[in-house]
Amino acid sequence: MTQLDPRGIVEISDGGVSVELKGEAMTLNIGPQHPSTHGVLRLVAEVDGERIARLDPTIGYMHRGKEKLAEVRTYAQITALINRIDWVSGFANEVPFIVGVERLLGVEAPPRAQYIRLILTELTRISNHLVFASSYPLELGAATPLMYALREREFVLDLIESVTGGRFHPNFNRVGGVKPAAGGGKTQKKVELDLPAGFYAGVEKAMDRVDAVCDELDDLVSGNEMIQARAIGVGVITAEDAAAYGLSGPNARASGITFDLRKHEDLLPYGDFEFDVAVRHNGDSFDRYMVRIDEIRQSTRIVRQAIHSMPSSPLQAKVPRVLKVPPGSVYVRGENPKGEMGYYIVAQGGRVPYRVKIRSASFSNISVMPKIAVGQLIPDLVATMGSLDFVLGDVDR
Amino acid sequence: MTDSPSETTDTPSPLGSFAADLAGDVGGERWTADNGTVHVYVAPEQWVDAVTTARDRGLNFFSWLSAIDWSKHVEVGEPAADGDDLEERYEVLCRLSSLEDAAAAILVTTLDKEQPVLDSLVPVFGGAAWHERECAEMFGIDFRGHPNLIKLYLPQEFEGHPLRKSFALGSREVKPWPGTVDVEELPSTTNPEAGEAS
Amino acid sequence: MGVIDKFGSPKPVSWLLNWSRKYSLWMFNFGLACCAIEMMAAAAPRFDMMRFGIIPFPASPRQADLMVVAGTVTDKMAPAVRRLYDQMPEPKYVISMGSCANCGGPYWDSYSVTKGVDQIVPVDVYVPGCPPRPEALMEGIVLLQEKITNEDVRKKWTERDRQPV
Repeated sequence: MTQLDPRGIVEISDGGVSVELKGEAMTLNIGPQHPSTHGVLRLVAEVDGERIARLDPTIGYMHRGKEKLAEVRTYAQITALINRIDWVSGFANEVPFIVGVERLLGVEAPPRAQYIRLILTELTRISNHLVFASSYPLELGAATPLMYALREREFVLDLIESVTGGRFHPNFNRVGGVKPAAGGGKTQKKVELDLPAGFYAGVEKAMDRVDAVCDELDDLVSGNEMIQARAIGVGVITAEDAAAYGLSGPNARASGITFDLRKHEDLLPYGDFEFDVAVRHNGDSFDRYMVRIDEIRQSTRIVRQAIHSMPSSPLQAKVPRVLKVPPGSVYVRGENPKGEMGYYIVAQGGRVPYRVKIRSASFSNISVMPKIAVGQLIPDLVATMGSLDFVLGDVDR
Repeated sequence: MTDSPSETTDTPSPLGSFAADLAGDVGGERWTADNGTVHVYVAPEQWVDAVTTARDRGLNFFSWLSAIDWSKHVEVGEPAADGDDLEERYEVLCRLSSLEDAAAAILVTTLDKEQPVLDSLVPVFGGAAWHERECAEMFGIDFRGHPNLIKLYLPQEFEGHPLRKSFALGSREVKPWPGTVDVEELPSTTNPEAGEAS
Repeated sequence: MGVIDKFGSPKPVSWLLNWSRKYSLWMFNFGLACCAIEMMAAAAPRFDMMRFGIIPFPASPRQADLMVVAGTVTDKMAPAVRRLYDQMPEPKYVISMGSCANCGGPYWDSYSVTKGVDQIVPVDVYVPGCPPRPEALMEGIVLLQEKITNEDVRKKWTERDRQPV
């Protein structure tokens, strides 16, 4: 029941938000269902003409209570829940949690399992950035890159599906390693057959296609005057703001912060491979877009190196069937495609954790919006929000 | 948790010495460095000063802020390991990390269950605003000096604090876990003894 | 449509009306969660939902006649879902995609999730899966098209809630 009062005071039934007008400002409600908010985000903007005077995001329309649900699920069942936090990059969500449980137990996944995790994480990163590359130009008015990027993404998803069986909620990690892959034998003894036949050739072909589409997108999008006019200089986030608000991942690297968790954390063997960290220095929306395209190229580089140096080992370490984790707390963070994603697990000796705190990247990424949106035009707000690349599952958990 | 550092060897590990230095600088009562995670325990009165000192010392990236409800009686899930010896309290945790290397620490403070009040970190880190709102609605902790402590995730008319251990999940009361678990049943409120035999 | 209410519709007329409606469904973009990504993939070049006549994707409910609820519906979002459903003009159809929209899904015991969108709006087709593959969504749409083929126009107009737009 929304009542539009002629004096302009708007009351919303579910939030009790009432915003008073001052002078010439008008209250504009964007969302929660809106094509450009990437999901159910509601922005209450006080606008003065076309300029935003104040922005108040209302989140929680996708809050599913995962932290409470994690207290009644066993460690193996929680992976089914946390796959769906950042729902575009399904596999990358599982890895920090599983590594955290492994650290509490004191086991380490065998090398082959770690390499498979790394390859799948990088494929997920490519898939996520291709979704970004398809939807961000759509925000700016270009509808064609959507089709190009999603076409190539299907090849990457085919690869993930041939190994895990699922397109983007694979639920493939097991505590101590990974599940014997979809193409493999029934027991862990057949280690050479765990990746499906033709996987390596398929990866080579897919990486060639992904590199080709990055070049196409460079022609179509990055070199396009209109995209440049709409994205350069828009939504600048300084490095100090990025650190204070907890911005991470490509958003922080576009503001000049050269920090990539893949180089500093050791949950996956990135140290065995050569790759560069993509950094830009202006902190505007165009840089955030370019950083992600650079990251796709680096990811294809990593995947190509990884498939040529796969070790042989079992796929899962020995863990008891009924998993009881001894008391202890651990925080493990990984480089999710959207930023730093971590899990703080408090175990108390039972089969379910006592508390799981999920640190999701997009929650911190959009908490900076009220600060930088002041003084922007409304179309610029759309461009900035799109460039932050968030999904509401990550924000609301 | 022990009072003394949990290193048993004579030469502390790099993480242990980092933790000890940090605890000394921020005035922490004790510290632990197990499982690769550094915890530094401070008193609630020194919370803002401790965080400011840690930030000035190089841990200038605000990662997250949250809380844990340590309760003897839990409505859903399994209770804490100490059982009846458990000291009931809220612990507020704040994780800060550095952007130069992988140095990071979790600052922990303990609040009373009856009156959980703490000073807000918004003057120190702007990003703490949303994290503190979430903590307030999930646990009922009051943050003094927060500019806008209204509910973040839940509808305004939602009653209760979901992440407290005393908050029951309605659906599980009505209908216990429906599927068959391949190993054994999970404990539920109607069948607390389930799953005891291995 | 007073004529149809009074006289019913002869078979050729109702065949024509149903045929034109089922092959020109305009789908309202109501992706909420992970299933929205599969919906996007279903519209992408490989699976190509547009060959079923679902062109374009209107962003406004006022011009849509098919609402695909893709994703988890929370208690906070439920009034908005109902309001958007009410804003669609008749005849309208609802497909519930994914197990969160069907019955609450993996969050069946959560404190903030509506256990199934059919508690709020009447649903025509349920597509199971978590998330359902794009082919499954297309099968759901084909099933809906078969349902429309066998529809009696007069019954549809009189039985469904006729709420003012």
